[in-house]
Amino acid sequence: MNKRKIVSKLFLSIFTLFTIISLVLPFSNAKAEEKTYIIATDVTFAPFEFQDENGDFVGIDMDLLKAIAEDQGFKYQVRPLGFNAAVQALEAKQVDAVIAGMSITDERKLKFDFSDPYFDSGVIMAVDEDNNKVSSYEDLKGERVAVKTGTEGAAFAQSIQDKYGFKVVTFDDSANMYEDVKTGNSIACFDDYPVLAYGVKQGNGLKIVTDKESGSSYGFAVAKGENAELLQMFNDGLSNLKASGEYQKILDKYLETGDEEADSGFFGLLKESFPSLMSGLKMTIILTVVSLVAATILGVIFGLFQVSNKKLLRAIATIYVDIFRGTPLLVQAFFIYFGIPAALDIRITAVVAGIITLSLNAGAYIAEIVRGGIQSVDKGQMEASRSLGLPYRKAMSKVVLPQAIRIMIPSFINQFVITLKDTSILSIIGINELTQSGKIIIARNLESFQMWLIVGIIYFIIIMILTKVSNHLERRIKHGEN
Amino acid sequence: MEKISVKNLKKNFGDLEVLKSISLDVHEGEVICIIGPSGSGKSTFLRCLNLLEEVTDGEVIIHGVNLTDKNIDINKVRENIGMVFQHFNLFPHLTILENITLAPVELKKATKEQAKEAALKLLERVGLKDKAGVKPDQLSGGQKQRVAIARALAMKPDIMLFDEPTSALDPEMVGEVLAVMKQLAEEGMTMVIVTHEMGFAREVADRVIFMDGGYIVEQGTPEEIFGNPQNERTKDFLNKVL
Repeated sequence: MNKRKIVSKLFLSIFTLFTIISLVLPFSNAKAEEKTYIIATDVTFAPFEFQDENGDFVGIDMDLLKAIAEDQGFKYQVRPLGFNAAVQALEAKQVDAVIAGMSITDERKLKFDFSDPYFDSGVIMAVDEDNNKVSSYEDLKGERVAVKTGTEGAAFAQSIQDKYGFKVVTFDDSANMYEDVKTGNSIACFDDYPVLAYGVKQGNGLKIVTDKESGSSYGFAVAKGENAELLQMFNDGLSNLKASGEYQKILDKYLETGDEEADSGFFGLLKESFPSLMSGLKMTIILTVVSLVAATILGVIFGLFQVSNKKLLRAIATIYVDIFRGTPLLVQAFFIYFGIPAALDIRITAVVAGIITLSLNAGAYIAEIVRGGIQSVDKGQMEASRSLGLPYRKAMSKVVLPQAIRIMIPSFINQFVITLKDTSILSIIGINELTQSGKIIIARNLESFQMWLIVGIIYFIIIMILTKVSNHLERRIKHGEN
Repeated sequence: MEKISVKNLKKNFGDLEVLKSISLDVHEGEVICIIGPSGSGKSTFLRCLNLLEEVTDGEVIIHGVNLTDKNIDINKVRENIGMVFQHFNLFPHLTILENITLAPVELKKATKEQAKEAALKLLERVGLKDKAGVKPDQLSGGQKQRVAIARALAMKPDIMLFDEPTSALDPEMVGEVLAVMKQLAEEGMTMVIVTHEMGFAREVADRVIFMDGGYIVEQGTPEEIFGNPQNERTKDFLNKVL
């Protein structure tokens, strides 16, 4: 073929070799054991990161990261947390870096160190494909416009909303934002160019009606003053990839190639998404079971505290129950996952944080169920037991609790169902349970309606099974009584 | 030594003075029946004898042990004081046999086998051996109360307290419970009985105590109290109930 390519390849190989020698050698000397970097990303930000049909994370960010890591020889692990969670996780130093199609802004620079820009983005506006009335910002007067939180599109929309007189509504992921436009709740949406272009190509039912507003650039971020070597490796790798042409290949793969037609019928979708959904369901069940076991233990302990004759124990239990019943589960999850690790400078995984949150939350409700159950047992039972000389604990465990448990069973079953459904809230801290699996799949295929229907049906079936089994158990226990 | 010795016992519920100052000695083997109008403090007094109610002031001494002393093990004391309640308070989740064996087994007074054997003997004594395997909700009120007595006796107490044991029973069932109690009295058990059964009190009691307004108003043999009451309030009460 042509000589120039061979020469440039040769030159590049030498260059790469030099880079590797100059970087890796001193680095590997300095650090004996190899570090695995935890890198957080979004889950629903096609074409930068999304799950393919096999459940693997792909996209421009993912492919770039992989290529750079190979080029620079570092190990990493990707945590798809969702954009906001990823940013907060980095602030809390729960992760080493974030790559999530994140625009480099002055505000973010205060908290993070950014790599060289790896993608120049911009903002465009899209409307429903059947909408022929809106073609410019002037047509937005008095209308609702959808944006995704924290994106450049959102910042741009907010900067012009007074000028053009529209109202901005924010969503946490692109799929929901597109759906809001499709259903007509919002007249238009602003999103980052590559994302919206990808969505339109995937057949999200929208069309692009404006030219690209040039915007800022995307960068790879680490916490301020931390992981400088990782940042350096990213920059070096990026320039290597740009020089080798690998960079452009990755971009083209997601922005230029035509789209293969997927089977978007209900059963086609079900078949395609089934493995991901089942692994999500598995996580949902693990979260539910582990949390409920812990919550039951907590609930019984604090429930007993509440009926104790010791003021201190009653006070402790009351405070616990009041706090966890008096705040939303979502806030508790954020506090435990982001707040506590940041304050104490420790790391906990999202799953552990999720289980702690659900256990403490359900434990508070179970404590109330236990208290109510114990108090509904006739006082004469305790008196008769004590009059026989049984100590309080024995009287409680042998006489009062066995009767109280029968009274509590329906409330317990109710709490089990609530906790199972509450696991879906934990998708917000990036746990890949059933709801999150649904979100991830929708990010890829943009089939909101059918996918949420499938996810809803799975929850329904599981809860129906749980309810039937519980009712059967309840009948058996009641039957055993007579 | 007196079996039970109560000195200047006072009991308040909040601002309400239920027992104003009660002193009473009970000898071994004595059967005491406490009568009086409702609200007179009879049941509260009885419940102070095994500390189911906390004592506000005064002393309750059972077999030489002062119950108002914070350092005593109240559970040990209660093992020797059986109590029978108006509403039976059988354990509904356990069989009749288990109701009786629970405390002796849990408190390591007997092995399971020994407790079971003893329980069956007690059930035979109260005429309910054939009910050993059933749950309390299959028994009549009179049967329940007889089981409750057997349950209390399983701990081999030397004092038995009865808190209106026949008040919640249908009239035709009162007799069977009183018969068991009478048998117990004849065997020499020390008993304190709060009751409205004047016939029973007259027949079985060694001493009858009339309480009203938180005081012991009058006490004496059944002949003295029922035949020749001295106090106006006693006369008034007996006129109403007899």
